Amino acid sequence: MPEIMFMIKLSNVSKSYQVDEETTFFALRQVSLEIKEKEFVSITGPSGSGKSTLMHLIGLLDKPTTGEIIIGEKKISVLNDDDLSSLRNEFVGFVFQQFNLISKLSVLENILLPTVYSRKELNYDPQKKAVDLLNKFGLFDKKNSFPNKLSGGQQQRVAILRALIMEPKLILADEPTGNLDSKTGHEIMRLLKDLNEKEKITVAVVTHEADIAAYGRRIVRVKDGKLVKS
Amino acid sequence: MNYALFIIKSALEDFKRSKMQTFLTSLGIVIGVFAVIMLMALGLGLKKYISDQFDSLGKNTLFIAPGKVLQGGSFGVSSFLGNRFDIRDLNRLSRVRSIVGLAPMSSKSGEAKGSIKSDYVTIFFSSSDFADISGFSIDKGRLFDKADVSKRAKVLVAGPKIAEKLFGSSVDAIDKKVSIDNVNFTIIGVLKSKGGGGFGGPDYDSYFFGPYTTGFLFDPQKQFTRFAVKADPNVSIEQVKDDINRAMLQRYKEDEFSIVEPSEIMSVVNSIFGIMNIVLVAIASISLLVGGIGIMNIMYVTVSDKTREVGIRRALGARKKDILMQFLVESIALSVIGGAVGLGLAAIGVFFVQNYFPAYIDLLSMSLALGVSSSIGIIFGVLPAKKAAALEPVEAIRYE
Repeated sequence: MPEIMFMIKLSNVSKSYQVDEETTFFALRQVSLEIKEKEFVSITGPSGSGKSTLMHLIGLLDKPTTGEIIIGEKKISVLNDDDLSSLRNEFVGFVFQQFNLISKLSVLENILLPTVYSRKELNYDPQKKAVDLLNKFGLFDKKNSFPNKLSGGQQQRVAILRALIMEPKLILADEPTGNLDSKTGHEIMRLLKDLNEKEKITVAVVTHEADIAAYGRRIVRVKDGKLVKS
Repeated sequence: MNYALFIIKSALEDFKRSKMQTFLTSLGIVIGVFAVIMLMALGLGLKKYISDQFDSLGKNTLFIAPGKVLQGGSFGVSSFLGNRFDIRDLNRLSRVRSIVGLAPMSSKSGEAKGSIKSDYVTIFFSSSDFADISGFSIDKGRLFDKADVSKRAKVLVAGPKIAEKLFGSSVDAIDKKVSIDNVNFTIIGVLKSKGGGGFGGPDYDSYFFGPYTTGFLFDPQKQFTRFAVKADPNVSIEQVKDDINRAMLQRYKEDEFSIVEPSEIMSVVNSIFGIMNIVLVAIASISLLVGGIGIMNIMYVTVSDKTREVGIRRALGARKKDILMQFLVESIALSVIGGAVGLGLAAIGVFFVQNYFPAYIDLLSMSLALGVSSSIGIIFGVLPAKKAAALEPVEAIRYE
């Protein structure tokens, strides 16, 4: 079996929306991109450039209009909704700008939420893993708190723990610092960098801020729905 | 965490946060289930009341009535018309060997003057077998016997209610004279209370009973309206019916008399009340429908309130069916909570009604209440839940 050098590969991917009968809006045009294992990639570009669309495609939240996305050995165009859900569950850990914790669930329950939807036999006790992670991130005393009692930095760290609970190959962060002050933002970025360097987790960060993008070992620039050579 | 448990817990936690909304949404189901269960309980009570009345007649009891009493499962007309039996029929029936007890029935109504007051009363005239056949027993004094019948004795046995009314108490009524339409009778006994009355049943406690020969005083034609018969328990009821039929056919045509088992009458009465009850329950069920629509409405609101949450859950790996289940469990929980509260209220209602009427809730109505309310949760929850499940993850997560 040949060694797979990329963990996710986009070939000639376009995403377009029918605005009206005559106008088609292209959010992405003919984008080809590989993200290799253990990489730290920043995807950057001005607002409206298509970087969010790119991130949704990489995160399997959306399907391309044309082109193919390959994850591991799987072509996602042939996968059904259940398969895609399983891949999102096991393969990707999402970190969002608005943290996107579920307000009626406690910190611990939020972290465990992906394991509820897992169809995979986990080789660890999720409850124990969650507690370990909380300890490691200094959030153990918050485990029964609800998200609205936490600061933004704490919420984003809980979101990162939620992304880590399934031991994903890829952490996909969409403007992870956008709702944080710059000090906290840099803390979060250092945390992601640590995860990449120590835990060998692939990280892709979408951001419009240059100093945040600078954390990446490779920077992919998007402009008008196309990749710009970096 | 266990998946099912987690989903149920999520739904219930939602309710905790909006108690008022939960209450109002469930209210329609509460009222609907309450009404349906209450009506079913009353229907069951009525059925029990009727069957108790018939049960008191005892097994092996048959009635012989003029005309056709039951026709094609309902009451015939001719039973209310004038044909009557007479002493020749009584004699003929008394020779039927499979009959062990024979009570002819005739009645007379009139003004009775007691020691305390007067009242308008009914006397049933019969043989000394009547108490045994009809399930009466004596409380004070004695029943009339064969000697009283052959002597045409002017003696009466009183129901406890009428005895008390006319004489103050059962004891005070014994050996007292009562004058009915200017004929003086002696009260020789008072019966034990048999209940009845109130809801359409005859109030036996307010009747007098006397020897049928004495009844001829008021009826020169010496006629009877029907016979009550106790069949020999060692002979099959079909055989007894056959014997009676043969005896009666010597004088009457096939359609001039009927032999009726109480159970036949009971099944006709039950089917009439049963249909009535079904109609009432069906009308009450409309409120369940309205309650279900209320749940559907609030579930649509919930789905759009939670669009973003759906997006988050989908991003974390929830499948469409996971989302569907989440909302379905929520709507089922809403309506089952309503159903349980309605059932509880109906139980309290029945508890109070029982003072006046033998209403009760059986296992069937309980499981029906919970079954119907969870079905309502499913039926009216499935469209909103499908809408939630069909949300595109990328659209949902961007939803503000």
